[in-house]
Amino acid sequence: MKIFSKDELKYFDGKEGRPAYVAYKGRVYNVTNSFLWKGGKHMALHVAGCDLTEELKKAPHGDEFIKRFPVVGVLECK
Amino acid sequence: MAKVTREMVERSGVDVDVLLELLIKNAAAELTTYYYYTILRTNLIGLKGEGLKEIAEVARIEDRNHFEALVPRIYELGGKLPDDMKEFHDMSACPPARLPENPTVEEILKVLVEAERCAVREYTQICNMTAGKDHRTYDLALAILNEEIEHESWFSEFLGEGPSGHFMRRGETSPFVSKFLK
Ligand code: HEM
Repeated sequence: MKIFSKDELKYFDGKEGRPAYVAYKGRVYNVTNSFLWKGGKHMALHVAGCDLTEELKKAPHGDEFIKRFPVVGVLECK
Repeated sequence: MAKVTREMVERSGVDVDVLLELLIKNAAAELTTYYYYTILRTNLIGLKGEGLKEIAEVARIEDRNHFEALVPRIYELGGKLPDDMKEFHDMSACPPARLPENPTVEEILKVLVEAERCAVREYTQICNMTAGKDHRTYDLALAILNEEIEHESWFSEFLGEGPSGHFMRRGETSPFVSKFLK
């Protein structure tokens, strides 16, 4: 499984045709096909290409949604 | 735009541009839901479906009312609706409530309840962002939230998730939001 550094993850911001990846609890999810992540932006508040583990704690939902998306790798832990 | 209105909200610490984006996305969700519910309602047929038709209709009309009630607040705060309706559809805060491939009453109910749950999440978020800060948006979002919660409970009751705890509307619609429509 691919290991992403935080810098590598930044490329996958969902803008200009790039895929939209989001890291959550060490896993990298591909949300490109989500209606709610168009252009790599979610609810005016969150952007793809980032680790959103902390942000999800403040969201009006849990991790049940992100877990429905394919895992494309893991986030390097350093 | 109501200049001082916007200034007061800004000074209370709310990011008005983010709030406006959320309000516009939710206005889009309401209007598109109104459209998709038209199709869902039409397909609620047969012995089981017939009784649900009226309930889906009330939710449909109230969602349109929510759209109508959100629009003035968007313009007061200096926002605007996109010119292009396709763009408006695609920026919705909730996924399209499309007719399921296998449109049984049960499957349609699942779509209805999911749409309402999405709305409950959204207005909870807007209430949290505006509570004690932007009083008018809070009041509006809370009124809409009250109705979305009722919609969720009506549909979930029919999915066997337990009693909704209240009656259907008796003639009138939007008991909470109507004050914003006058
Ligand atoms: C305050 C911040 C957030 C708000 C207001 C928000 C709101 C929402 C809402 C309303 C939905 C639709 C839920 C439904 O259909 O019932 C949703 C879906 C989703 N959210 Fe969030 N969310 C937030 C933060 C996050 C974060 C931080 C993540 C990433 C870890 C995330 C990932 C997702 C995913 C993957 C979906 C499912 C999208 C789909 O099914 O296409 N959300 N969010």
